[in-house]
Amino acid sequence: MEGTPHIRMAGYDNARTTRLGPATFCALRGFGEANDCGLRRRERQYVEANVGGLLPEYTGSGERMSSLRRLPRFEYLAPVSINEVCQLLASHTSEAKLFAGGTDLILQMRRRETVPKYIIGLKSVAELTFIREAHDGGLTIGAMTTLQTLLTSPIIRRTYGLLAEVAAGIGGPELRNVATIGGNLAGALPCADFPPALITLGATAKLSSSAGERTVAVEDLFPSFGKTVARADEFFTEIRLPSTPAFSGGAYLKFHDRQSMDMTTVGVSAFVTWDEDSRVFRDVKIALASSAPVPIRVKKAETVLRGRRFAEDALEEAALAVCEEADPRTSWRATREFRLDLLKGLTKRAIGRARENAAGSTRDVS
Amino acid sequence: MKQLIPLALRINGVDHELLAPPWRTLLEVLREHLGLTGAKRSCQEGQCGTCTVLVDGKAINSCLYLAVEAQGKDIQTIEGLAKDGALDQIQKSFVQKGGVQCGFCTPGFVLATKSLLNDNPSPSEDDIREAMVGHLCRCTGYVQIIEAIQDAASQIQREGAG
Repeated sequence: MEGTPHIRMAGYDNARTTRLGPATFCALRGFGEANDCGLRRRERQYVEANVGGLLPEYTGSGERMSSLRRLPRFEYLAPVSINEVCQLLASHTSEAKLFAGGTDLILQMRRRETVPKYIIGLKSVAELTFIREAHDGGLTIGAMTTLQTLLTSPIIRRTYGLLAEVAAGIGGPELRNVATIGGNLAGALPCADFPPALITLGATAKLSSSAGERTVAVEDLFPSFGKTVARADEFFTEIRLPSTPAFSGGAYLKFHDRQSMDMTTVGVSAFVTWDEDSRVFRDVKIALASSAPVPIRVKKAETVLRGRRFAEDALEEAALAVCEEADPRTSWRATREFRLDLLKGLTKRAIGRARENAAGSTRDVS
Repeated sequence: MKQLIPLALRINGVDHELLAPPWRTLLEVLREHLGLTGAKRSCQEGQCGTCTVLVDGKAINSCLYLAVEAQGKDIQTIEGLAKDGALDQIQKSFVQKGGVQCGFCTPGFVLATKSLLNDNPSPSEDDIREAMVGHLCRCTGYVQIIEAIQDAASQIQREGAG
């Protein structure tokens, strides 16, 4: 370890140069005990000398800790069944936070945007991880199914290629191996990519609590920015996809600054059912990411296309309707005007791609 | 609030028992409690990939993973790759093809390669680039890294065939 002093220095530079008050400058708790059951003596000395005194715990409010990036303290609860989760939620409602993949929540906690007293870890709840074909030809996906599983699942790729496409566009394998579809919904971020895709597929989400279960259309899940309709004692257990009709297909197109590993500037999901005989759109569903405070479905644009032929004027009209319904904000990432411009172009392309996929699909899943 | 909880972690085939606060990430426990400093602490956001380790054979960002949730799983770090002082084929290829310069990103890239080759023994260049999107390297310009991964894949296949 002594062989890499430069790297070590660089890694902890922030901590060294940050001005710490005496309250925050406390040693790592836990080393005393950890010493006896893990660390060798030399390692212990190294850690205490180089790390222990430098990286304090979070001690309270008002301290500027972001550069230190420790997680705030919490008690970890590890239920193993949906029932246990429901009970824990009922008894710890206001102070607990559910932890699915945690890839977003950990960042929010590091930034102290949320400081929950209890973390209810869902990774040990085996019954939340599954992909099942339903009797009516649809599909049910457990909330803890990871994005990588969605990306590689043969049944998803075959019948709901749109979801595999969305998963492929999020992060890299390291993130997708941990992040979950339930977490993507529950986070309720307007930039999340799954909600628009699920809305266009007509998906519903099942919410469970100790009082019972209820099913809500994904479209109706997001009442306002960063919120879902889930009560504090409820949580997402599964997502239901209806069967897809013959000659249907979807596409999700998003704009982001880099080709990967960044947030969606705007995203357009389109799902088209194509009338192969009369060669018109039988049905179209369009939903948007990062185009309003919540993920939204744009029904006017859908109406414009129904019964129309696949032609530039129809696409143009639909794209304009999308821009009317969308209400994107100006942020450091992009201005409102730029987002609207992007939406216009992406809408046309997404519909075009969805139509291609629809015309190419002959399989009636139901 | 419990300051310390007992953790049982299986790392590179060895069982470790230790006490740590539940709010420790896997990266923190590996580096600070166990002295396994191969996984690096860098962006802490899942952008850079330097903290990559394998959990049940799958690459994950250990800075975004709670140590308490890694219990009962098979964790592999870069320290467990070489056997009896002999480098793993992926490590050899990285050395031979110039895929290592300052070395800070290397453990992450090597483990991501291992995870990739587990699933896809003969990846195309696109597959490789796609699998490495979550890793940053400020030295090599990536070309040598991609060559190293291609070399590792073909060497491993040759070994398997021979």
